[in-house]
This record gives sequence, structure tokens and C-alpha cells, in this order.
Amino acid sequence: MAETTIGFEPPALVLAGAIEHPLTDITSYRAVGGYAQLERARAMSPHDVTDQLIQSNLRGRGGAFFPTGRKASFIPTPDKVAKPIYLTVNADESEPGTFKDREIMRRVPHRLIEGCLIAAHAIQSKHVFIYIRGEYSTEYDVLAAALEEARGAGLLGDVELTIHRGAGAYICGEETALLESLEGKRGQPRSKPPFPAIQGLYASPTLINNVETITNVPKVLELGPQEYAQIGAPPDSTGTRVFCLSGNVVRPGAYETPHGITVRHLIEDIGGGIANGRTLKAVMVGGSSFPVMTPDELDTKLDADSLGERGLFIGSGVITAIDDQACIVQFALRVAQFYMHESCGKCTPCRVGTRWLVQILRAVEDGSASENDLEVLLDVCDRIIGKCLCVLGDSAAMPVASCVTKFRDEFRAHLEHGGCPFGEDSSLAHLFAPVDQHAQVTA
Amino acid sequence: MIDEIREIAKQYPESKSAILPALRIAQEQYGWLSREAFEQVAEALDLTPAYCMSVASFYDMFQLEPVGTHMVEVCTNVCCGLVNAQAVLEAFERELGVSPGSTTADGNVTLRAVECLGGCSTPTIVAVDRRYRQSVTPEDVPGIVAELKHG
Amino acid sequence: MSAELVRVTIDEKEVHVAKGTGIIETALAAGIEIPVFCYEPRLGAPIGACRMCLVEIEGMPKLQAGCTLTAQDGMVVRTARTSAKAAEGQNATLEFILVNHPLDCPVCDKGGECPLQDLTFRYGPGKTRMNFEKTTFEKPIPISPTIALDRERCILCYRCTRFSEDVSEDGQLVARNRGAMSIITTFDDEPYSGAFTGNVTELCPVGALLPTQYRFEARPWEIQSVPTVCGMCPVGCNTSVDMREGKVKRVRSRNHHEIDEGWLCDKGRFAFTHLRSSDRIVDPIKRVRLRGFEPVSWDDALDTAEQLLRAAHGRVVVALSGSETVEQAYALAKLVRHGTDSHDAVLPEEVSGALDAYRLPLSAIADAQVVAVLGDVPLSESAPIVDLWVRKARRNGARIVTSEDEAKGADRIVLIWSGPGGRAGVRVAQLAERLGLADKDGCGAFFVPATPNGRGVADAWAAASDSEPGDLVSIGLLIVSGDEAAGDPNVRGLAERAEAVIAVSMFHGLAVGWADLVLPGTSYLEREGTYVNIEGRLQRLRRTAAPPGPSELEWIAQLASRLDVALSPHAPAVFAEVSERCYGGLSYSEVGERAALRAYEGAPAHVDEPALPEPQAKGDGLRLVCYKPLFSGPAVERVPELQFQRPQAEVELARADAERRGIKTGDEVTLTGGGASVTLRARVNKNLRAGVARVAREHAGDVLGTVDVARAGVTA
Ligand SMILES: Cc1cc2nc3c(=O)[nH]c(=O)nc-3n(C[C@H](O)[C@H](O)[C@H](O)COP(=O)(O)O)c2cc1C
Ligand code: SF4
Ligand code: FES
Repeated sequence: MAETTIGFEPPALVLAGAIEHPLTDITSYRAVGGYAQLERARAMSPHDVTDQLIQSNLRGRGGAFFPTGRKASFIPTPDKVAKPIYLTVNADESEPGTFKDREIMRRVPHRLIEGCLIAAHAIQSKHVFIYIRGEYSTEYDVLAAALEEARGAGLLGDVELTIHRGAGAYICGEETALLESLEGKRGQPRSKPPFPAIQGLYASPTLINNVETITNVPKVLELGPQEYAQIGAPPDSTGTRVFCLSGNVVRPGAYETPHGITVRHLIEDIGGGIANGRTLKAVMVGGSSFPVMTPDELDTKLDADSLGERGLFIGSGVITAIDDQACIVQFALRVAQFYMHESCGKCTPCRVGTRWLVQILRAVEDGSASENDLEVLLDVCDRIIGKCLCVLGDSAAMPVASCVTKFRDEFRAHLEHGGCPFGEDSSLAHLFAPVDQHAQVTA
Repeated sequence: MIDEIREIAKQYPESKSAILPALRIAQEQYGWLSREAFEQVAEALDLTPAYCMSVASFYDMFQLEPVGTHMVEVCTNVCCGLVNAQAVLEAFERELGVSPGSTTADGNVTLRAVECLGGCSTPTIVAVDRRYRQSVTPEDVPGIVAELKHG
Repeated sequence: MSAELVRVTIDEKEVHVAKGTGIIETALAAGIEIPVFCYEPRLGAPIGACRMCLVEIEGMPKLQAGCTLTAQDGMVVRTARTSAKAAEGQNATLEFILVNHPLDCPVCDKGGECPLQDLTFRYGPGKTRMNFEKTTFEKPIPISPTIALDRERCILCYRCTRFSEDVSEDGQLVARNRGAMSIITTFDDEPYSGAFTGNVTELCPVGALLPTQYRFEARPWEIQSVPTVCGMCPVGCNTSVDMREGKVKRVRSRNHHEIDEGWLCDKGRFAFTHLRSSDRIVDPIKRVRLRGFEPVSWDDALDTAEQLLRAAHGRVVVALSGSETVEQAYALAKLVRHGTDSHDAVLPEEVSGALDAYRLPLSAIADAQVVAVLGDVPLSESAPIVDLWVRKARRNGARIVTSEDEAKGADRIVLIWSGPGGRAGVRVAQLAERLGLADKDGCGAFFVPATPNGRGVADAWAAASDSEPGDLVSIGLLIVSGDEAAGDPNVRGLAERAEAVIAVSMFHGLAVGWADLVLPGTSYLEREGTYVNIEGRLQRLRRTAAPPGPSELEWIAQLASRLDVALSPHAPAVFAEVSERCYGGLSYSEVGERAALRAYEGAPAHVDEPALPEPQAKGDGLRLVCYKPLFSGPAVERVPELQFQRPQAEVELARADAERRGIKTGDEVTLTGGGASVTLRARVNKNLRAGVARVAREHAGDVLGTVDVARAGVTA
């Protein structure tokens, strides 16, 4: 059974010491300097720790790229609130194309735990929750074992750390849905404000960060914020990224590199180029939630600003190469099916709109749609974007709209051809979307 | 089981938070979330069975109908799809003689197509009884099916 | 509370509202309507789900759900009227809502009073761009015998499930599945049961949840709504009774924010069909020697009644039900007391005047810090709306306690006595006195009487005469007023001793057979008059449907004139007489449509009664507490759709008592006491206090007093 390829371009921070072999036991982790930063941090004032995070300009690796230190600084200090303060780590990783948090948890569980404990100190939290996606059984086992080791070594101090397993719902990666789920409810997002920093878990101040973000924290302290901030593409995209390279490339894998390398470098040099001698058609950048990139944009740097100039997003560090054997309409359809399946059903535009998108795309794919349906399709995207309760709706509409606008000819070809022009040759032909297992009703 | 659930609930500031672990335990015990399973969870956490069912039905990993002894879940999202997921799924359909979402006549295996399992660099990911197999190809499928028949 | 005012600009209009006011309300203050579906402040915090209320807020890049925001100083809001972006958002939402909607308005009972229909009319697109299959469901599904669910019409606003989870807290009506597959449902197709289920039919903003009784019965424009109050329990929820062609078609809430907050229990909502029960007595029925009983004319009946009254020679006894209006009770009292000089009555459970000093609107319960619920009858059975207020108090952070000691020390304490016992509220008044609750803001005490207007009836009886009851050795005539009295075993005992009996009864089978004359009774839905509720508030009943014959007031006035007693047949005039004596001269019109609670003036009365010890069970036994279930009584028994709501044959036990006996929920247990025994299913109730075994009266059989409780087949 093939393992995920792990690679890096110096410096490796998050995966440091774990490129060759996983670093799962506490002794080997200690051997690479593990838990030293926790000790240092605890000797510092909480405020100073937060300050170092602010100076490093570490930003969220979960998707929104929000400055981590600043988010921590929104958490009121214990003397200002009568409630406990919580740290919640988002390990729900369900964005199609993303697998970095899984690798981090498998390879450096102790670095994640160390990061949790440092971050807990920074916001003076006594209870940390790691919300891990339910499907990650092995990762749960590794993390739980590491936690027992850390607890045994007395590293937790007066902090409680609970690993909470999800049960299969992409939306629970959205921070407020995650909190609802952790509270024992259906994982439906909450309307903001109030923001979690003020009223989060059990209506108490709560900091929520992604696994990779938190795993960076010990490294920020180790290198010092100034040095950390030099890495990557300062000033905004500091540090490294564990990029998730997949799709039609020769060497897919999890590659840690500084921010700012080009997509081309990642695909062609690190990933060995497009497999089977085919040519690249499109790239899913950031995750399936964002607009796709066309081959002429390959020299764009993987940092938030460079991508932003092109209306693209760094998201959770996904790069999925799509070759010319894939039908882009089928790609859009399958992506839309994902969001329809994962829409929580709370707000109208997302619940209804994602289903409508699937219906139109299906008709385009089988050639029964009209040119007008393409306009309706774009219009439905427009009517979803910016109007939903959380950004899942936007995540469904943005990639679809980008496919239609960037590959309109291919969409038209379906209408003219009365079906998919690739026929059975498309790699995505008949790709089967999950049947909703709980539905006893027709939809 | 009720005691086990109540014990887990102690890890949380509010016992309702233990509903996912509780449903997981109940599902392991009953094979699926039957009426009785919901009643037990409800009793343990002081909730209504309707509430427990409502929560369970939100999550893909909970079975509200009986399922097979084994579960085969094939990722069919785009990253696996671009490589060979559809062929792997079809191989399972052939070998097991069932379509996705259903269970073999002997009640041994349920086949499901699922969303991205987070193993995109080693396509196709197949979760067999909730444990990942990586880089599964159509050629691997008969072996996996044989394993489930005998194991 | 600080009333800091902030300035908000909405569609270029400036308004000043208290900081924190919702944007929907702020807009209303500026005369601007923002359309909503999911927003319903009575259900708790807004959820921002439907996205109907999208508005543009200056400084925020994205459209915002107006319902989730509150007014901040300097906020600039643009609704669809002045913002193209907001208008586009609103259109988008409406289009999405309609995409799967069946548009079956012509056959939908909600048609004509449907927010979705109205908003579509006002803002909706003229045609649909949806060329694909709509989501379809089997429809309509009976989610209970009283409520039908049409899932195709559901817009998933979650009002109904939020009600079930966060207001009635029954946790039964829930959403199942996720995304486009989401549906509203109950557990395992069980009927949605509980005291308050019908409220969801009013909350639902579309025709998805509708009362089965109203199915295809009327269109809104054919309806006349009569504002009245419910006469089924001592709360007196304000209702609006919808009539078509002289018949009651449905009962809805008429929000009185101090009493019911717009909620109504299922008994009040669905029991009205008892009016049309097939065993309704429509003509007087007279005992005819040899031939038994036969219907007679009203003239004949009044002749007979007059004879019987005269023949009793001052030995008339009146047994009242406590469901009479103040006027009806007064009229009867005056007739008997002035016309025959008889002064004996069997009055419904009294309510002590000492409670008046602790008077509060029910809504004050929600703001209490501590609510002490004393007595062993579940509030949800005796006065269901009070139970909702207590739940709201708990959600607001109040401690709910069950003993005096636990109540001490808080600033805002509310005491509630839900019988049995409590001696007409004397005990709770004494307790209030001990805790010093008089004149303390937000503090008060309630006693839940067993009948809807027991207090008003007692007031009326007393107001009619100052004469003292005599020492009756024999009863010449017993007048049984109403079906509750007719069903009371004590009253039946008196009837056996009486030389003659006149009964006022709505239904065959209650008094026919043992009364010499049965006069057709009326329902509270058929009367004009007033009731005094649990708070001590006078409220006004209006006639909705016409009774089959003359009302009680009408025929009592006729009889009175035969006995030379002056009595008006009109409620306002009768009320004026009573009011002069006991309601400070308040006029009938002042009672009004949304009655105010009269303030109590004067010092709290000191009740000097010896503190009786609490009743205790003997030995190892448990004290049997029997209660009258909400879903019981002559009216409920006549409504087939409500039968599923009647209580199970079960006994509730406290956790400790159950554990000591090795009893689990669901076990068959035998109760033995007072020389009888009964076998029931056990239910362990963690909220019940120890030492008590609680059973609905109708399931207690002849068991009495202290009971032994053991698993069936095991001897205790
Ligand atoms: C639909 C949706 C799914 C998301 N899934 C994840 C996820 O799986 N993991 C994650 O870390 N963040 C996810 N996010 C982002 C989180 O809401 C949140 O921004 C993030 O956890 C914050 O952590 P960070 O600041 O460290 O990135 C998701 C957001 C949305 C809208
Ligand atoms: S049934 Fe009515 S109240 Fe309930 S979610 Fe649907 S539309 Fe809303
Ligand atoms: S009314 Fe505001 S989102 Fe529904």
C-alpha cells in the first residue's frame, strides 16, 4: 500500500524531523527539541506569546488566512469574563484535495499538541478541544496515543485536552458549525456576530485554529517572530505551507515549501509534471471551494497577494492538476454535487441553490440544456454568492462560475454535441456521487 | 453502554456534547442506529430519541438503516476521480454484485461512494471498515473482497 | 435596564431606538417593513436562516440578514427599497424559496393568510426559471391526528423545530437529514404529542403544518374572528375564534404578552369540536314517571324548575363547577339566595384572598431569579402555559426549585403552588409572607386552582347575599351547575340524598338518568361574560357560536322574574352588580379585549393558620398523588383527534424511590393501597421529588392514600 509522498524545500517547519519517518513518540520528538518551546512559552506572559504570533504574521492555514495572533488577541482575558475560555483546533479537514492536516497528525502529533498548549497559554485557556474528522481513525489513534504520552509526562499541567471525533460532515469544518457540533447539535453554522472570540463554545470566548496553523506555533517561538516573518513571501504570506499536490501529476504528495513558489514549480519540478504525457487543462487551487486556474496562470506565486490579484485563493494549500482527459463540465458537476451533498440545509440560497446548480449542470453535461441555461447557471451562482449564512454557498458557486467563464467553449460544445464530446474517454465520465444515505425521499 | 456514555460525557462541560461519541458507541453495538439504539443514547444523555435521530441524520457516518457486517467506502470526489476512482467503484460493484448505497444479499458488505476522504495524493482511497487503503486500483479489488468474505 | 437611545438611518429615514433593538423592529419604527420568514423573536435568538431579510449596512461589504443585527449608533441601513443590492438579495431568496414550492395555493388552507403568498405577491418574480424537477414528497403526512405536514410546502425556516426544542422543550419535532434532503419529522413516525403541539400550525409561515380539523373547512375571507379567552384552565389564554356560517372552525392564539405570549395549549386549540358532539343535549329533558326521560319544551322545563324551586322551601343546594362565568354564577346565586332564601352551595376549590398582595402578571415568571414550584401536580397538566413561563425562566437563567428553603436569598422570587393541598393558596401566601415578598419588585405568588373560574364563581356567590348558610337536615332541591359538578362523586352523593335534582349539562350520559330535570348547558365558547384567572385578572368571554337554546343567563333571568327576583339576562348588567360588590365598580367595557391586571392596594393580609405538617406516607410506602390530566374531562373526551394525547397508564416515580425498588422505566409495577391495587407501567422522573407516586386520576382505580409499589409479580 503506497504511502503519501512527503517532500520539502527548506526550511521544513511543520514537518521538520518527520520527512523521512513519522515522529510519533515523545522521545524522538524531544530529541528534535520538542516541548522546549512550551516550557519557554509558559515562562512568558500570555500577552507576550500572543505578541510573538502577531509579529510573525502567522496566518490561518484553514482557508481564510486570517492573522492568527490578531485573532488570539480578540479573546478577552479571564479577568474580563466570568466564563471559561476555550481553544478549539479544527482538524475536520474535509475540503476536497486537502490532506495536509492528516499528514501532520500522523507525523508530528506532538508538535500539534505542543502548539495547542502554547496557544492555550497565550489565551489563558484551560480546556482545549481538537475536533478531528470522524473518518480519520488512524490519525485519531496516533494523536490519542501522543496525548496520553504528553499527559503521562505531565506536560498538560492544569490544561485539559479533549480529542473530539466528528462523524462525517464537511460543514463541521466551518468554525461555528464545528462549535455547534461540539456542543452536541446538528453541525449548522451560526450567524455571526457574535463571533466565537466573544461567544463561542458554550457561549464562552473561543479561539479556533486549523491544525497546521497551531503546529506552526512552536516554530514561531523557536525561530523567533522576526526570523519566521522573513520566510516565504513577506509581509503577508510568511512561513511555509504544507501543499497538497494531487490529480494528474507524476508525483503527488504533501510538500512543505515556503510561501511564494509558483504553481508551475510545484507541479512541474516538485510534482514531476503532468502524468502519462498529457497536457494540463486546469488547476484546482486552494481547494474545490475556489475558482479554478487556467494553464496560462501557472506562473502565479503561491502567496495570498499574488493569487488575490487573479481572483484566486490560497485556501488550504491545495493544488490539483486536471489534465486534458477530464471533461470540465463533469468536473464542475462533481464539485457541485459535493456541495449539494454537504450543504447543511440551514439557509435558503445554499440549500436550494446547490441543488439547482447540480440540476442545470447535469442537463448541460447530457446535452439537454440550452444556451439560456448557461446564463441561468451563472445567475444562480451570482444569487448564491454573498447571500448565504456561511461561505459554503460561495464555495459551491465560485468554482462552477469560474468553470463556465473560463471554459465556456467546452460548455457550449456539450450543448452543440448533445452530450459530452469526450464520451467515454473522459476520466470523470459517470463519476458516481454519493447517494444521500439518510434520504428515504426523492429529491 | 449507558454507563460508558455517561463516563465519556464527563469530559465535556455539557453532557450533550457527548452525543457523537455516544452514537458511535451505540452504532458499534447495534450495527446501526436502530430505534433501541437511539433510546439508549437518549436515556444516557437525557435527550429525546427524536433529538438523537435528528443529530445522527446530519452526519454521513451514522447508519439509520441496517447495513452489512463490513463497510466499503470508495472516495469518488474529484482528486481520486481524476485518477481512477470510478473504475475502482465499478470493480467493487462487479465483485460484490451491488450498487453503491446497498448491501450484498448475504448482509456481509455494504458498498458506499463517499466524498473526499483526505488521501488525495494516494488515489483511490477506499475505507474498509473505516480504515483507509491507499492507492487502490481496480486490480486490488478482488483481493479486498475476498478478504471480507473470509475475514 | 438602560434605555440608551441610538440613532439609526434606514432608507434615509432617521429613527431613535433603544440600543440593541433588532433591525426588523427598528425598521418598523421607521415605518419600513423588512420581510421575514424564519425570524420570530418568541423562539429565542434569531438564526438568520431564510435570508429573506437581507439588507445593506454601510461599512459592511456583504449583505446582512437584518434579523440577526441590532441597532448601533450611527448605523446606516438600506433595505430593498433603496438598495439595488438588497433588492437583488431579496429577489434571490424569494426565487430560491419558490424553486421547489408546489404553488398549490388554490387548494392550500393557508391561502389568503400566507406570508409566502403575500411576499410573492409583493416582491416575487412573475415566472419561474426552474425547468427541472422540484423536490417532491409524499403529502400530506399526519404528524399527529391534529396536525398535517406537507413537506413540499415547507421552506425549512425551522420555526416549528425551534418551538419544539426551545419553547415547549418537548424535543419531538425535529429536522432530519441535511441540505436539500432535510425534512421536518418526528421520531420513528410517532405522533407529535404534548401540550403545545398546535402552536406550530400558527408558527409555520406557509401551508406546511396545518390543523387537520381545519382542512378544507374555510377560506380566510369567509371567516369572522371573535376575540375571546379560553375557558379550559385557570390561565385563560387569549384566543381568536374563527367562525364560518355560525360554526367554530378553529381557535388561534391572540397574543396577550402578559398571559400567554401568543401560545395556546392543544386542549384550548383543538377541543372546540365538543360543541358539535353527537351527544349534545339540545332540549331540556324531564323525568316522566313510568316512561323515564323525555325532551320537553323550554316553557315546560321552566314551569318544572319553578315548581321544584318553590317546593324545596329554602332547602336548595347549588353545586357549582367553577367553569361558570362570573355572571352566570351570580345569576344562579341571586336566583336561589333571593328567590328561595337558600344559601348552601358546593363551591369549587376556593382561592384565598391573601394571595392578592402577591399578584403578578404570569410574564413576570420569566424574569425571576428563583421559581419555586410547590405541590405535586405537574404544571403542564394543571395550567400548561405557566409551565412554559417556568421553562422560559430557566432558559433565562433562573433556578427552578421545589422547596421553600431553596428559594431563599434571591432578589426576584416567584412561588407557584400546583396542588393538591395548599389550602386554597393559603400555604403559598404564608410562604410569601415568610419570605417577605410583598411589595418586592418581580416577586409574587400563584396558586393554581383546579377550575378555570373557581375564584370568579366564589366571588359571585358571595356577592349575591350576605346571609349565612343554614343547617340543612334535608335537601329539597339540588341544582347541579355544569358537567364538572355532574361528574363529581361528592355531588352525586348529595344528589342521592336530595328530594329533587336539576342539572345543567351539555352532554347526555352525565346527568340524564338521575336528575329530574336536565337543562342544556353551554360551553365557554357560547357565552358572554367574565372569568377571573390564576393571576386574579378579570377577562372577557365573548359568544362565538350560538348555543342550541337560551343561554344560562337568559333562562335564569326568566326563572328569577317568576320568583320576583330582578335579574338582567345581559352579561354587562349582571357584571355591574357583581363589580360593585367585589371588583371596585370596574365596568364591563373596562375589562376590555386585552384585560389589564388590577393592582392590589393595601397591606398584605396576615394569614394566621397553624402550619399543618406536610402529608407524609406511612412506613415504606409512597404517597399517592392523583392529578387531573390536561387531556381529560367531558370536552376532551368528545374530540376523537385528541384521544392520543390522553395520559398513558403509568405511574411516575422519583429516581431514588425507583432504584430502591429495582424499578426501571417501562417496568410493570403494582400499586397497592386503601384496600385496592392497580398495575401500571413505571416511568422514572428525575424531576419528581422522592416519596411520591404520581398517577393520572383516570388510571388510579380505587387505590388510595399510602401505596406500596413493587414490580408486578414481586411482593413488596
Ligand atoms: C465550508 C467550510 C469548511 C471549512 N472547513 C475547514 C476545515 O476542514 N479545516 C479548517 O481548518 N478550516 C476550515 N474552514 C475554515 C474555518 O471556518 C476557520 O476559518 C478556520 O478553522 C480558522 O482557522 P485558521 O485561522 O487557523 O485558518 C472551513 C470553512 C468553511 C466555510
Ligand atoms: S414546516 Fe413550516 S415552520 Fe417548519 S420548517 Fe417548514 S416552513 Fe418552517
Ligand atoms: S428573517 Fe432574517 S434570515 Fe430569516
